[in-house]
Amino acid sequence: MKPAPFVYERAGSVEEALAMLQRYEGDARLLAGGQSLVPLLNMRLLMPSAVIDVNDVPGLDEIREEGDEVAIGALTRYSRIEWSPTLVSRLPLLTETVRYVGDRQVRTRGTLGGSLAHADPTGEMPLAAIALGATVVVQSQAGRRAVPAEEFFLGPYYTVLEPEEMVVEVRFPVRRTVSAIAEHARRHGDFAVISVAAVGEPNGDGGWKSVRVALGGVADTPILAVEASALLSGTSLEPDVVARAGEMALAAADPPTDVRASADYRRHLIPIYVRRTLELLQTRRSEGAR
Amino acid sequence: MTETIETVRVSVKVNGEEAVRDVEPRRQLVDFLRHDLGLTGTHVGCEQGVCGMCTVLFDGEPIKSCLMLAPQADGHEITTVESLNGEELHPLQRAFKEHHGLQCGYCTPAMLMTALALGRRGVPLDREQLEEELAGVLCRCTGYQKIYDAVESYLAETAGSGGTA
Amino acid sequence: MTEIVERQTEQTRKSFIGQRRTRVEDERLVRGLGRFVDDVDPPRLVHMALVRCPYPRARIVSIDASAARALPGVLEVLLPEDVLERTDPITILRPIPDAPAIMPRALADGEALYEGQPVVSVCAVSRYIAEDAAGLIEVEYEPQPFVVDVLKAIEDDAPILHEHMGTNVVVTNPRGDGDPERGFEESDVVVEDTFSINRVSGLPMETRAILADWTPGVKTLHVRASTQAPHLFRRQLAQSLRLPEADIRVTCDDVGGAFGLKLGIFAEDLLACVHSMDLGRPVKWVEDRMEFFRGATQARESVHQAKLGVSSDGLIVSYTNRYYVDAGAHNSPMGSPMLSSLMFQGPYKFPNGYVERNVVLTNKVPVGAYRGYGQPEGSFVREVLLDRAARKIEMDRLEIRRKNFIRPDDMPWQTIGGAKYDSGDYRACLDMAAETIGYEDVLLRQAEARADGRYVGVGFGCYVEMTGYPGSKFLGKHNAQYGAHEGVVVRANRSGGVDVYTGVPPIGQSTETAFGQVAATVIGLDPGNVRVFAGDTHGTPVNTGSFASRTLIAGSGAIERAGREVREKALRVAAHMLDVPVETLELEDSVITSTQGPRITFEEVALNAFYAHRMPEGELPGLEATAYYDPISNAFAYGTAAAIVEVDPESGEFTLERFLFVHDCGTQVNPLLVEGQLHGGIAQALGAALFEEIVYDQESGQLVNGSMIDYFMPTAADLPRIELGHTEVASPVTPFGVRGIGESGTIPPGAAVANALADALSPFGVDINRLPLTAEYVWRLLAAKQAAR
Ligand SMILES: Cc1cc2nc3c(=O)[nH]c(=O)nc-3n(C[C@H](O)[C@H](O)[C@H](O)COP(=O)(O)OP(=O)(O)OC[C@H]3O[C@@H](n4cnc5c(N)ncnc54)[C@H](O)[C@@H]3O)c2cc1C
Ligand code: FES
Ligand code: FES
Repeated sequence: MKPAPFVYERAGSVEEALAMLQRYEGDARLLAGGQSLVPLLNMRLLMPSAVIDVNDVPGLDEIREEGDEVAIGALTRYSRIEWSPTLVSRLPLLTETVRYVGDRQVRTRGTLGGSLAHADPTGEMPLAAIALGATVVVQSQAGRRAVPAEEFFLGPYYTVLEPEEMVVEVRFPVRRTVSAIAEHARRHGDFAVISVAAVGEPNGDGGWKSVRVALGGVADTPILAVEASALLSGTSLEPDVVARAGEMALAAADPPTDVRASADYRRHLIPIYVRRTLELLQTRRSEGAR
Repeated sequence: MTETIETVRVSVKVNGEEAVRDVEPRRQLVDFLRHDLGLTGTHVGCEQGVCGMCTVLFDGEPIKSCLMLAPQADGHEITTVESLNGEELHPLQRAFKEHHGLQCGYCTPAMLMTALALGRRGVPLDREQLEEELAGVLCRCTGYQKIYDAVESYLAETAGSGGTA
Repeated sequence: MTEIVERQTEQTRKSFIGQRRTRVEDERLVRGLGRFVDDVDPPRLVHMALVRCPYPRARIVSIDASAARALPGVLEVLLPEDVLERTDPITILRPIPDAPAIMPRALADGEALYEGQPVVSVCAVSRYIAEDAAGLIEVEYEPQPFVVDVLKAIEDDAPILHEHMGTNVVVTNPRGDGDPERGFEESDVVVEDTFSINRVSGLPMETRAILADWTPGVKTLHVRASTQAPHLFRRQLAQSLRLPEADIRVTCDDVGGAFGLKLGIFAEDLLACVHSMDLGRPVKWVEDRMEFFRGATQARESVHQAKLGVSSDGLIVSYTNRYYVDAGAHNSPMGSPMLSSLMFQGPYKFPNGYVERNVVLTNKVPVGAYRGYGQPEGSFVREVLLDRAARKIEMDRLEIRRKNFIRPDDMPWQTIGGAKYDSGDYRACLDMAAETIGYEDVLLRQAEARADGRYVGVGFGCYVEMTGYPGSKFLGKHNAQYGAHEGVVVRANRSGGVDVYTGVPPIGQSTETAFGQVAATVIGLDPGNVRVFAGDTHGTPVNTGSFASRTLIAGSGAIERAGREVREKALRVAAHMLDVPVETLELEDSVITSTQGPRITFEEVALNAFYAHRMPEGELPGLEATAYYDPISNAFAYGTAAAIVEVDPESGEFTLERFLFVHDCGTQVNPLLVEGQLHGGIAQALGAALFEEIVYDQESGQLVNGSMIDYFMPTAADLPRIELGHTEVASPVTPFGVRGIGESGTIPPGAAVANALADALSPFGVDINRLPLTAEYVWRLLAAKQAAR
């Protein structure tokens, strides 16, 4: 299980990486954490003519607070996210969610940008990006564009990225929110069978000004449960509302059958996990924890 | 015959010693360590990033060396199980021996490197957190229990007392 | 207490048997200095890679290897016609009784019968280039009708794998006693079901591997192998390669786990040797994990149609189990798991019983040995049915077991399956398990939890395990290509120690440590003075190998004999040197002391024996002995596993709150090692019970999850803390009273967890009849109940 031959390029800057991408006309792959790309190379499921290593690009792994946003560089590694004091206080959902990704070794290397570009439908970072309403900043030699996370993913392992584009950073809005995640996996650190993340903005009277619920593993891409979120916003998450939101999330999903679980079972779990996540959200708020 | 193959120069510090080799770009770091440098203590179990047998420290942090290309290590520092070896067993190695934390020994170097990094991080961990931290290395022989006993006792030792819950 | 034949041991000296000792193997292994096959890179090494059939079944129409041959760095491409005539089919070590042997070939012969079967083999200067070349080979396949389900394979219109057989049923082995049908009629309650046991993999962390090194001209072959049985490996290679055994040396330094899977040679081993013989260079093949799931033998998959009849007062009246083993496409070197039949009775006595094994071929990877060898499957079925019967007659599950146990004073006990239990107190283990887990308290807690809408359950699984073989004669009747014995050489060295040579390779089972403890005890040395040299066919006596929980039983017998000979000779030589009567001498702590005063060290005696300067009249030089030990009978280990679960009936998710295992393996040579063996076996059993399953797609016949990513071997974070307890009834039929321990852990955990789940969900009345027990499966059981309402 060894990779097919390729040319190894090491990019010293974003511009250089973009020039290389252009030069190989879609036949090159960016190498970030390598935690998805290299297994695919080893198994020869991918045989690009070149691999462009962006690990040495300076400044691509910064976490910056900019007004009411936090910008995280594409090359920021999971373990940085996990332990970043900024993120622990500003985006706790991200630091909590990242712990569901793989194991310590995977988190040493894997990156936020790689995860989004890889677009695994069960991926935790894509899920969190959608739940948090993040914007993916994408760049090519032609310039930059900002894509809302909800529009970034087009299918399993398939995004809006053009071959000559790369993710450079992800911008997360920061508001006074409470967040929660619940996940079902076949074993520790495994890809999710289903995951649900919720972000809620409390209002003064014990209710919720807005709630966003996103689901992973239940469709071609992680999804924002738009109707359910709309229903929940402005409520106090009363049990019957939560139950209806669960049904709406179910209606929005189109889960696959695979070796981890059947579509039926995933469907069955959707309302349960929506409820659990929202209950956790409530609990956290009353604890004042997050 | 093989001269036609493109190579890149890799210069890397392994266990404190500088090593320079010309390798094919596609060469896995683990093959580089094992077969180019002869450091066979690091093992291979899947080449898919799952089993963790190939765990080494990359600039002090545990990584799976089957998921890194050798050229990526250029200019970096690698630590392998061989770094622990002296006349006497390293306290971590001793803990594994005393607690019967190994049977076939195939996963042991990876477990040791993962635990070593944990010890250096120096954060107190309860048993559950410990299991999480070490879950990246599989073991088919021991059922893990004695491995965790070993690591727990090592961490307690390195942290003085009370390092672990 | 149990009555046991008192063992006549002459042992009054210091004993290291029973000591909790750390391992000698660890000194190299914790340093990363073990020597596994892939750790050796001799000069001029080349690498092999294979083209494997991508279909469940396909005729090979044509092969074009020209592009591969033209690739720089490629040294040889072997097509089927290149090897089939030069090699013989692989002999089956443990043939299935009364069945035709369907022997594997080095490459597919005209037709490939499972996804993964080797079709073409390539050698190149690196594994990277060998894989490049394999990718360039164009094979034209013509897919054929296939069958990947064991029950479909026995239907009349099923595609037949081996036309000449006319059926996919390799053999039907029945065995019974009494009149089971009448037994069911006489029973007050009869429970029956069809149970599906999952296909799993032993999954050693080190995959299969071989380094074959042929010396041209001299015509000798040195093979480094990752195997449990180097001497059997050597014999099989000699047969298939048509070489005299003398020209083959098999070395096995360290093995990264085996679990039954590394028994005998495989097609790839033959190919590596043929390449090496052609090229005159060392050839390495280290299986990658994708190959592993398509080529290394798999295990356990079977369907059991079982039926149990009990009287209203809880006595088992009749028990039958007709089962179908999904054997894959041909025989593996170890045939097919036998012990579901032999051990079908478990710890219970009943008058009427019948067990029938059907071995069935399917277009899947061959099934071979895996720790437990049929016992986990049979035990699961029996224990689950027994709980069901208990619920039906409203009897406590401990009570029903106690009523039916074979009692210590019934021993020895001849079972319906054909085993002869040596001794044991089965109830003692069950009682200890029930008490330790706090059975009564759990029942109380269960009632409280239910009132709360939570579902807690406790379950038990009892087992008896056959360990070792009942002698070589028994194996002879089964036409096995090996004996039940072990042989060792014990040789003094000239610095006061002894060297022990054994063909048992280190596979994690700690024989170096355990053999050292036994040898030291028998001779009168410190274990630190004993060195065990293992796994090289050069210099070790022909032996059987490390499997069937037999190594320590047979091995310790051989060491005991050889050690005693060495000791006695040392005493005779010492008597001569000291000029005292031999009866006055005792050897302890490396020193020989006479009751008359004089003393001499073992080292001095050994040195003299090798110089032979001052030997007693008629005594030959040297201080060594070769001894074999053939077991007189086999010993049966036994015990009880217990589990507590809490289930969420809404989602089907459950947690294994506690897991306890009480066992008896007779005399424990080293309790630390016993615990390790149990932990490992239990982890594998819980893996198979809760997570692992190799899945084939029924439509396409394709392997669905042939990678480490999709095969759910548990991590530490997935397993409960394992609690252990033990009783110690020495076996009257083995050296030192040991019973094997290597496989026990794998047997009852599945049943204990399944019974705990069924107990937790008893208000819903669900019946568990398959493995693995996933959350989805539990949900489906509950959903089916709800739909039925
Ligand atoms: C054992 C194991 C367990 C795992 N478990 C999980 C899990 O539970 N949940 C989970 O979400 N993931 C899991 N992963 C995958 C992991 O999260 C990967 O790290 C992630 O999917 C990819 O990130 P990376 O930085 O490693 O990217 P790489 O592997 O380097 O690249 C992945 C893809 O993204 C492209 N790419 C990388 N960076 C960019 C960029 N900046 N712009 C555009 N394209 C880019 C690459 O060309 C490649 O196609 C697991 C991986 C392993 C090995
Ligand atoms: S070999 Fe690298 S993770 Fe398995
Ligand atoms: S000791 Fe064998 S794999 Fe861990």
